[in-house]
Amino acid sequence: MGNKPKHNSTKKIVLPVMLGVLALVLVLATAIGAVYVPFGETARIILKNIGILKNTAFHEGHEEIIFYVRFPGVLVAALVGAGLATSGTVMQGMFRNPMADPGILGVSSGAGLGAVIAIALGLNSKSIFFLPVFAAIGALAASYTVFRLSKRGGKIPVLTLVLSGIAVSMFLGAMTSIALTTIHGDQIKEYLFWTTGGLTARRWEHVAMAVIPIIACIAMILAYSRDLNILLLGEEEAQAVGLNSTKTRKILLVLTSITTAAAVSVSGNISFVGLIVPHIMRLIVGPDHRILIPVSAVGGSIFLVVCDLIARVIPNPRGIGVGIITSLIGAPYFLFLLVRTRKGGDAI
Amino acid sequence: MITGHEGYSVIIKDLDYSIDDNKILKEINLCIGKGELVGLIGPNGAGKTTLLKCICGIYSYDNGEIYVNGLDVRRTDSKKIAREVSLMHQNTNITFPFPAIDVVLTGRYPYLKRFETESSEDYKIARKHMSYTDTLKFESKPVTNMSGGERQRVLFAKVLAQETDLILLDEPTASLDISYEEQIFKYCHELVANGKTVIVAVHDLKLASRYCSRLVLMKDGEIISDGKVEEVLTPENFSTAYGVRAVVYKNRITGLLDFYTHKLEHGKSGKKIHVIGGGGSASGIIRQLFEYGHEVSTGVLFPGDSDLQCADVFGIKAVVSEPFNGISEQYFNENVEFIKNADLTILCNMPFGIQNIRNLEAAAFAQNLVIVEDEPPMSRDYTCGQALEIYKRLAQKAIITTSAKLHEVI
Repeated sequence: MGNKPKHNSTKKIVLPVMLGVLALVLVLATAIGAVYVPFGETARIILKNIGILKNTAFHEGHEEIIFYVRFPGVLVAALVGAGLATSGTVMQGMFRNPMADPGILGVSSGAGLGAVIAIALGLNSKSIFFLPVFAAIGALAASYTVFRLSKRGGKIPVLTLVLSGIAVSMFLGAMTSIALTTIHGDQIKEYLFWTTGGLTARRWEHVAMAVIPIIACIAMILAYSRDLNILLLGEEEAQAVGLNSTKTRKILLVLTSITTAAAVSVSGNISFVGLIVPHIMRLIVGPDHRILIPVSAVGGSIFLVVCDLIARVIPNPRGIGVGIITSLIGAPYFLFLLVRTRKGGDAI
Repeated sequence: MITGHEGYSVIIKDLDYSIDDNKILKEINLCIGKGELVGLIGPNGAGKTTLLKCICGIYSYDNGEIYVNGLDVRRTDSKKIAREVSLMHQNTNITFPFPAIDVVLTGRYPYLKRFETESSEDYKIARKHMSYTDTLKFESKPVTNMSGGERQRVLFAKVLAQETDLILLDEPTASLDISYEEQIFKYCHELVANGKTVIVAVHDLKLASRYCSRLVLMKDGEIISDGKVEEVLTPENFSTAYGVRAVVYKNRITGLLDFYTHKLEHGKSGKKIHVIGGGGSASGIIRQLFEYGHEVSTGVLFPGDSDLQCADVFGIKAVVSEPFNGISEQYFNENVEFIKNADLTILCNMPFGIQNIRNLEAAAFAQNLVIVEDEPPMSRDYTCGQALEIYKRLAQKAIITTSAKLHEVI
């Protein structure tokens, strides 16, 4: 008596294993590119530059390529993947709906409008900071509007939230289309590049912009993981054990909006990460958010780094957006889920 | 803690609750002492669930006050209230496959700080209550794979793991087998014996009357009766709350309070019908006639006959003879008087003996006679043919039917 159940301990090894895989994938994705740098050398360059290894010598020019060109892009992919997957996990749990993803809050469409405004004003060519900042402002403004519209007497009912999310997204989409008609050829290409998820040419500045909001929000979401578990049993079930469900949901909605906005602002719209990663992870570790959230965050990182690698190695003169790869993998999986649900089984 | 609340688990004063303009609860006043097992009864939509949700602070009410163990529910932190009162919801639909133990452990939430994880003490408490509700054997089984009964017992263990003095149960036996129905009420009985207070919203009035020490009857958001079982379950209350005609009696076999109800039907013109029976042959027919709203009389019956009890329960006039005697002239005439005045007389499928043979003779005075013949009269004749003789004569001018087809004749 008094011992914790066994199933927790077996599931605990999943996280360390995945962290190991993430480290490997990070190095591998950095090593592979137009100029091939051996795996060991890549690892040594990274370790030296983050101050762990000293006195090692590399092939000339490799250090620049690895640490200042490729590694920041890979890190951005990892951060964005973690942020989107965590947000998706929270959304699915909070709405008790396996089809929910961060897009319902209108974040993506808001970010899109912000981005197109930055491009139309010609700010994108002046500094790389303008586009992400505009996208983030658009994303947060959109989700704030959705919250305000769906608030009913201090509560945020799921149905009105989803419907307001759809309406706001449609409206912002139309605004984006109007803005697109005012800009010319090159700018349209810039927008198209952003909207399909551009992770190439990400620099350390981008990492710096995303790292604090994403890591901080994931940490705070983790602190609410038990509350999320209880919310899964139902709103009133949660209230019966003294959980202030309205307040908890508001906090979680704000945290996921910030996480998603931070991710989208540095990467563009990357769909399906927030939808499929939580599903796969739930199949492996079960629905307990105390394990599911960290595991999903790491899983999202791995998934997006790998998708980014695929996007980079596919021969294409202009590069192919990572959002295209995630959608190519995500859409068939989504359909698979639908078919399975229709056959009467649970989607999860 | 407010003074004057000692000994009370719940005090509700002038409680109103409405959704938009619909008043769901109107001026509820209720005091429930510690250690009571209170059954909350009433038709669908009476406001039972709403009242329970107000008591544990899930619904914030418009007017009035609710105190649980002296704490003002509206002004007390929700975790603190959750340490005083727990609620088992009517339908809990869990769609994610949590193992049973995790569900039970959510009952420990009000005792944990944000960054605290469940201690081995919490696991011990959870397992203690799981073993009490006989669910420990599937502690790691996902709740989504459980039968309704198993899941309900897991949720009951969860409510117990909350370790509150006041426990609210909303239709805990809905969708359960009868064996679990009994079990849940037996648990409640034990909890109350251990000093807890239980309020249970319940549909099954027989279970409620058997296990609860007090009943509160609600209708349209108001409490219309509150008190001991016999005080609340009266024919008048049945009629106001449920719109049914009811008969409340002590069941002779179980010794428990029992009742028979049927829907009130208005505008039916009742005939005067006299029933000649005995030995239990008339009971079903009397009930049937009662339901149709006829004015029924019966006789002659002898004390101790179950048909006589039936007549008592349904409140119909009966001619009763003295025990172990034949039917005297006086009772015979009384009976004939009823028969003559009746639009219809029914002769039941009863045994004939020397004692009641004069009932057959009386039947001859009927304006319209219906004979119920489920078994041949020969097999029921204990008078060596004497009764059979009369029976045959009666049969010539009567309609003969069976109990199953009686309604067609009437």
